[in-house]
Amino acid sequence: MEKQALSKLFIRLFGVVVIALVVWRVVTVGIAEGYPTSFWISQGINGLVLGGVYALVALGYTLVYGILFMINFAHGEVMMIGGITGFFALQFAAAQGWMEGSTAVVVAALLFILIMGMLGSVVTGVTLERLAYRPLRRAPRLVPLISAIGASLFLQYSVLLIFGVSPHSYRKPDLISGGIRTGDVFIPYTGLIIFFASVFLMLGLYLIIQRTKLGRAMRAVAEDKDTAALMGVNVDAVIVATFVLGSALAGAAGVMLGFHNTVVKFNSGFIPGLKAFTAAVLGGIGNIPGAMFGSLILGMIEALGPSALGIPTEYKDIIAFSVLVLILIFRPSGIFGEILSEKKA
Amino acid sequence: MRKTFNIGLIAFAILTYLTLIGLPTRLAGATQPVLAVLLALFVYAVLRGPARETGMGLGQLLQHGLLIGLVAGLLLVVEVGFFNSLLGDGVKIQPVFDQIVPLNMAAMLNVRAGTVLNGEVSPIAYAILALYLALAGVAGGLLVHFTRSGAAGSMRGVHIPGTRWFTILLPFALFAFIYYLGLDGVTTFGNDKNIIRLLLVLMATGSGLFALRAAHAGLEQLIIGALLAVVLLCLPFVLNQFQNSVMNIVFIFVMMGLGLNIVVGYAGLLDLGYVAFFAIGAYVYAFVSAPFSSPYISALLTGMGISPQSPLLGYWSAIPLAMLTAAIGGVLLGIPVLRLRGDYLAIVTLGFGEIIRLFMLNLGDLTNGPRGLLQIAQPTLFGVAPAALTTHLDAQGWIFLLAILGSAVVAFVAIRLNDSRLGRAWVAMREDEDVAQATGIHLVQTKLLAFAIGATFAGLAGQLYAARQVNIFPENFSLFVSIDALALIIVGGMGSIPGVVLGALALKGLPEVLRGVDEYRIVTFAVLLIVMMIVRPEGILPSARRRRELHSEDAELPVDEDEQLEGGHA
Amino acid sequence: MAALLEAKGVTKVFGGLTAVDAVDLVIERGSIASLIGPNGAGKTTFFNCMTGLYRPEKGSIHFDGHSLVGQRSDQIIGLGIARTYQNIRLFKGMTVLENVLVGQHVRMKASPLGAVFRSPFQQAEERQAKEFAQELLEFVGLGGEGETLSTNLPYGDQRLLEIARAIGSRPQLLLLDEPAAGMNPRETEEMIDLVHRLRDVKGITVFLIEHDMKVVMNISENITVLDYGKKIAEGKPAEVRANPRVVEAYLGPGVLVDTSGGLEKKGEKL
Ligand SMILES: Nc1ncnc2c1ncn2[C@@H]1O[C@H](COP(=O)(O)OP(=O)(O)O)[C@@H](O)[C@H]1O
Ligand SMILES: [Mg+2]
Repeated sequence: MEKQALSKLFIRLFGVVVIALVVWRVVTVGIAEGYPTSFWISQGINGLVLGGVYALVALGYTLVYGILFMINFAHGEVMMIGGITGFFALQFAAAQGWMEGSTAVVVAALLFILIMGMLGSVVTGVTLERLAYRPLRRAPRLVPLISAIGASLFLQYSVLLIFGVSPHSYRKPDLISGGIRTGDVFIPYTGLIIFFASVFLMLGLYLIIQRTKLGRAMRAVAEDKDTAALMGVNVDAVIVATFVLGSALAGAAGVMLGFHNTVVKFNSGFIPGLKAFTAAVLGGIGNIPGAMFGSLILGMIEALGPSALGIPTEYKDIIAFSVLVLILIFRPSGIFGEILSEKKA
Repeated sequence: MRKTFNIGLIAFAILTYLTLIGLPTRLAGATQPVLAVLLALFVYAVLRGPARETGMGLGQLLQHGLLIGLVAGLLLVVEVGFFNSLLGDGVKIQPVFDQIVPLNMAAMLNVRAGTVLNGEVSPIAYAILALYLALAGVAGGLLVHFTRSGAAGSMRGVHIPGTRWFTILLPFALFAFIYYLGLDGVTTFGNDKNIIRLLLVLMATGSGLFALRAAHAGLEQLIIGALLAVVLLCLPFVLNQFQNSVMNIVFIFVMMGLGLNIVVGYAGLLDLGYVAFFAIGAYVYAFVSAPFSSPYISALLTGMGISPQSPLLGYWSAIPLAMLTAAIGGVLLGIPVLRLRGDYLAIVTLGFGEIIRLFMLNLGDLTNGPRGLLQIAQPTLFGVAPAALTTHLDAQGWIFLLAILGSAVVAFVAIRLNDSRLGRAWVAMREDEDVAQATGIHLVQTKLLAFAIGATFAGLAGQLYAARQVNIFPENFSLFVSIDALALIIVGGMGSIPGVVLGALALKGLPEVLRGVDEYRIVTFAVLLIVMMIVRPEGILPSARRRRELHSEDAELPVDEDEQLEGGHA
Repeated sequence: MAALLEAKGVTKVFGGLTAVDAVDLVIERGSIASLIGPNGAGKTTFFNCMTGLYRPEKGSIHFDGHSLVGQRSDQIIGLGIARTYQNIRLFKGMTVLENVLVGQHVRMKASPLGAVFRSPFQQAEERQAKEFAQELLEFVGLGGEGETLSTNLPYGDQRLLEIARAIGSRPQLLLLDEPAAGMNPRETEEMIDLVHRLRDVKGITVFLIEHDMKVVMNISENITVLDYGKKIAEGKPAEVRANPRVVEAYLGPGVLVDTSGGLEKKGEKL
């Protein structure tokens, strides 16, 4: 009888072996290398920051997937456009001398840059939805995905052609360069800002979805578009609102990454986008808290993994994708399970 | 009118985009006519539908066209004027818009760059640009009118005698012309003969597919197919090194596309990491044919007392190894992703593709990292290099010949499989996994077979690619190879073998012809992908099955009516 | 008569809902038996447990000497249980003939290599499969439709095609989920006739879910009644009809015959 049970047993066994191997490796490396605790703390903080950025982007994937059941493959590019827009807003602010002003002025200028970046992304996201996705809403699933791949390439190479090949460098104002040093642990201000801003924005999103009429409409559309329409929900408007929310978060991530990494390029949304998608899948795509935790986990794994396993940091992407594959083998619908998409599965 | 005005705004946005990406700089003197033609085509495309539905008269068509042209033209003039005033004031726009340079603006207005820099552009130049575009709008309206009245009769497939034979004979005429152009002393009136011949080859090969389709099934199709095959096999001997090198890449991608077609088109498993198997084929062949390139293998062989200087295996004996390794790769990738649904599968396979590339980059000992594997041996014919046998076949032509043969073998296998128990199982699984399983299809086995067979074909293609490149580097195997392969089967028509060939010709061949506007290759292609998905998701030459699937909603309507009628009679 | 299938204590739970609750059931070899009950009683879920789409939490199902619980659905059809679906699930992009060919998949053996090289065995097998498919199409009355796209068939014919696809696997037991739903009276008559012929000509045991009492009472030799997942009655049609619990729970006060097949919820799974 128990063929299925056998294969499950086999998978479990395999899982135990993998975990044992990883633990063994981490322990031996930990003993051999003997990094100081401060090193781990610094790496951990990097992981949190990275996780915060991934979370902002991952939420966009999850929101759109939850409602349209499509992977918005161009979402990483939406973020990149936010970064580029933010860069020009920064140039503008600097030209006005705002970046050298009093603390209040600099903070206001930074907010202005953030909002401009979010606007840039929102415009991009909404346009994408209108032109590349809406006409395909009833098509088989592969079709919008391919359209999204086209959109991703289009955005990347349009930015390359319009704004040129040279990377756009963000210059941090003095206010946010530097950081806090306690003992051997150094925390850059940008890292702090990213983490807290991410948490803040995510809380906002959570409130919108749980507490507002829009949120309720979004959940209704995710459940069943046709029924929602019958009950008087304007499905198109809800979908646009979803893109607005997702893109705004991505735009914020783009600007903050710009300050953190100091450069934005035509392709700088691609890998973070991919990672964020990975994070969304880790958490269970369509599941909003899942996306946040998945992102934090992924950020941590990337920051700590290479050192813990004693392998070069070039392999951090390999670790990230391997984790994705492993998780999906053991839990095909993510760590926390899918919520919104269960029905259409 | 409001709607028409909005369309004008969209046209303006497109023109602005074209300006910002610097198209006028490249087009130079031809800018205004080209923009006008583009605008006219745009107007044609947007007005055609409404004209058919509402039965707009000529006057109305012209009005709408004119309005679109005027809105787009006037706004563009204002925009160009704005940029010009900045440029004239010595403001540097380039740090923001890389392509907004005097040359660009000058091309737009058909004046000299100096005129722009000095701020001396006359109002007349602006007026001409606006006029050009307004007229283009009108021309678009006219075009709608004429195609409408002209096409009204032929719309419903009225048979024009002779068109079938024209379609069938066209490729042969084109091939003959290509041969003629290759003769000494034939010139193409100053145009680049190299490129023109290449374009003709692409067109001839493509039209061959349509000829095959036009031929009646049976003996006629067989004869024409055989004749086309003979002509195609002669091509490598007729073309020059450059043309051969483009065509062999086209056909290497045909092999890839046919393999991916099995995975995506037949079995419905969206694999974005297909490049991994292409890379495996290439690297395996590189390892055995140029072991000295890899520090690790070199040391290993030396340790075993074998000289790493000479190839371990020849091209032909390496084929089974390359295919087998790729197939194993396919199964290894397949096992963990078996339980995943479509979208997850796409992303995980994409991750796998990246992992393989990162390994190639970072496993310096084995793969020599970014420095690549060098001096890969060329395929031989019974131990002899064909160049030694005939002066008519250069190295690239030889690869082209092998690519044609490889494609033929792969196509043969794909056709046979598609029309078998396994092929039906793939399609059933793609359409409804649960029901397919309940009908007795072993999902694991069926999916793994798709992955393995697809990977095998990619491995074969990769091996030939390695031989073609002579030196291979990790960046030859980026995500874009997967995307190209996927795109070509989509453009050609998912699940369709002629579609794959056509897709490869269009996506890997045409850009070589358009070398001058190479920068625009990817954006053009990206727009094409989106438009294609919206307008014709089944591809240019779809398989009958796909066409049915994607249009089954349309097809259902009349049937429902029939059903009602029947019910009424009963 | 010998039992072909024997289920004991089969239980299937969804979240808090026990869709099938400790159901015992025996199907005699060569019989035509029915499973009835109000909408949502758990009939389709029981079918799904029998065919491996769901795995029951408790209980056992034995078929022809094999235990079914834990087997995959492709193994179960191999053992000889085939089925149709309440909301028709044909392979839409395939022709009528191709659908029946897929139905024979589990009885065919040719390997992919055989297909590539057109081995004599593969050739013979394909030919036989096509002949058999044609024969089955004629048996259900779709003989002339082989090349039609399956979605283009009228609704009633799609149900017939599902049956042809199912018997392509040469089953011993055929499960029909509301075969006459949505059919007009003439089509229903033909369906009744077809079910008889399936048993009498093809020798297939038939177990069917049906709402149309005329059909059920007409053709069943044995009826099992489910309500809220529990078996509330079983026996010969006359006995079931006379059972007060059935009348109350299923037929409802006063309503004796429910002929409309349109009672299912829209979009209901399976
Ligand atoms: N996949 C599922 N997930 C959750 N609940 C289900 C599922 N399938 C069926 N059910 C529930 O189980 C109950 C029995 O359904 P079903 O077996 O389809 O009834 P019927 O007797 O009408 O065929 C219903 O309440 C239905 O909503
Ligand atoms: Mg039911």
